[in-house]
Amino acid sequence: MKMILTIAWRNIWRHPGRSGVLIAAIIAGLWAGVVTVGTMNGLLHQRVNYLIESEITHLQVHHPEFLTERRPADTLSSTAALFRFLDEDSRVQAWAPRVLADAMLQSPVKTSGVRVRGLDPQREINTTTFHERVTEGSYLNTEGIRNPVLLGEALLEQHRLRIGNRIVLTFETAEGELTSAAFNIVGQFRSASTEYDETTVLVRASDLARHLSEVPLYHEAGVLLYDIDDAPALAEALNAAFPEIRAQTWTEISPELSTLVQLGGLMLYIVTMIIMLALAFGILNTMLMALFERMREIGMLLSIGMSRVRIFMMIVLEAVLLTLTGAAAGFALALLSIRHFSASGINFEMFAEGTAELGWDHLVFPILSTGEFVSIGLIVIFVTLLASLYPAIKATKTSVIQ
Amino acid sequence: MSIVKTSSLSKIYNPDTVPVHALKDVSVSFEKGEFTTIVGPSGSGKTTLLNMLGGLDKPTSGTVEVDGNNITGMKDSALIDFRLQNIGFVFQHYNLIPVFTALENVSFIMLLRNRSKAEMDERAKALLEAVGLGDRFDARPKQLSGGQQQRVAVARALASGPKFILADEPTANLDSASAMNLLDIMEKMNREQNITFIFSTHDQRVIDRARRVVTMVDGAIHSDERVGEAVNG
Repeated sequence: MKMILTIAWRNIWRHPGRSGVLIAAIIAGLWAGVVTVGTMNGLLHQRVNYLIESEITHLQVHHPEFLTERRPADTLSSTAALFRFLDEDSRVQAWAPRVLADAMLQSPVKTSGVRVRGLDPQREINTTTFHERVTEGSYLNTEGIRNPVLLGEALLEQHRLRIGNRIVLTFETAEGELTSAAFNIVGQFRSASTEYDETTVLVRASDLARHLSEVPLYHEAGVLLYDIDDAPALAEALNAAFPEIRAQTWTEISPELSTLVQLGGLMLYIVTMIIMLALAFGILNTMLMALFERMREIGMLLSIGMSRVRIFMMIVLEAVLLTLTGAAAGFALALLSIRHFSASGINFEMFAEGTAELGWDHLVFPILSTGEFVSIGLIVIFVTLLASLYPAIKATKTSVIQ
Repeated sequence: MSIVKTSSLSKIYNPDTVPVHALKDVSVSFEKGEFTTIVGPSGSGKTTLLNMLGGLDKPTSGTVEVDGNNITGMKDSALIDFRLQNIGFVFQHYNLIPVFTALENVSFIMLLRNRSKAEMDERAKALLEAVGLGDRFDARPKQLSGGQQQRVAVARALASGPKFILADEPTANLDSASAMNLLDIMEKMNREQNITFIFSTHDQRVIDRARRVVTMVDGAIHSDERVGEAVNG
């Protein structure tokens, strides 16, 4: 085996130029492929994480019809027992109750439709990271200001408003009456999505609830878990314990996020397949060229007593060694690149406006798990073996008196 | 007892299209210790006969026996192994492995027989010294002259301890001095170590050294002449 390895390795370097070009192509292809996959992974991961951490959380609880009908009267019932359950369950890291309403926002400039999110500031800070998106002014936990409200930068701009200005929100109460209230702008935020910033305003849950009903009410509870994988089990437990509410995991609340995750897997598959196809043809071409040049030599090896099995192994080993040389360098380069960019991020600032419209961050931190690295490595070896089969079989069919 | 013999050996190429009778009913045997040349004009069938003797080609009819074993019916894999253990080859174009050194080229054949490294090295060095290349162990084929490469090929052919060596036009690509030097070495091995050589050649220098000359014409043996005594068999 050692001698076959030696002969295979030296055969590779008979034509350093030709082998070098293939190795360089493998390095470049793997590097580009792995970094691309890592970047796509990072982009999707950031999007999913952002939405989960900033707003959706791992699990949400609503009135069974609230998400489809959005009626102010479809509130959470048995809230005391429900909140006690959430407080006592060891899987729950934090939770935050919310009051939600659709409203008309009136300013001196114009009127526009908005979604009002009434938050419990302290609980929300413990549960989500949205407060980090406040770019100016203060969050809702400011004391001494009546009916504070946070607006997105884009909405402020549309209404030519500034912090300190007052707006009027008109919404339907739980009893079906229309009511209006003035709110004071205390801060502005910029999320990853311009559309969200144009259509969402944040107020205190207690302020919004007071205008919606004479009795305290909540429409939603967002639940943050220690482990995202516990979400389905906890949702099931909540649904069993409280039949009058409906608990849903993040994948049910936001199916598009789940689709994004699946899309990430699909993209990984597609990019990997493209690289592997190119790799396979590169190997096949190089090995066939090498084989056609050495038909006489292989015939001689068969003549003097080298078995066809050993000839087969020699050709396969040549392909494997050639590929592994390139693959090792390509993976090392990709690993270094991903390590570097996972710390500093890849800045797509030139596309920032477009990515913000789509709700994506322009600074992307590539991610590639060890499992994905290993998988790509195994696929490379598998494809190499597959691509070397034809030349190797062809070599074994060489006539001894070539 | 003959070391290799053929019985009614025939070979027809392209039997279904334009049949070419390369060998016609050839029966010949070679004894241990012979130094034989098979001669004849181009197309007379001498290389075909050599290929049959070495199990490199299958006859259309007839048999080839090596040391009492009929090799014509052997399966390909068994034949490869049989060649490895019993037959040494020297080719016209040397056919050394270009990525191996002289020593590795000679060792390689023993490695195929799973010899130990120490044994391989010792024997390969001894063989290279015997062919006058004791100072070129680490030279690659392209660093050697044609004559030197052919001497490495002779050492390689001897490495596995074959029963006989088949040499197809071994001096065809060599200058006179190299050819004479190579023949000296092979003749010496034949005389001193009783190694059997069977050549196919046009080269008068080889024919002049042979102690038996088998002449072929049109695929058949035209004459079989002994011009000297074989060494002890």
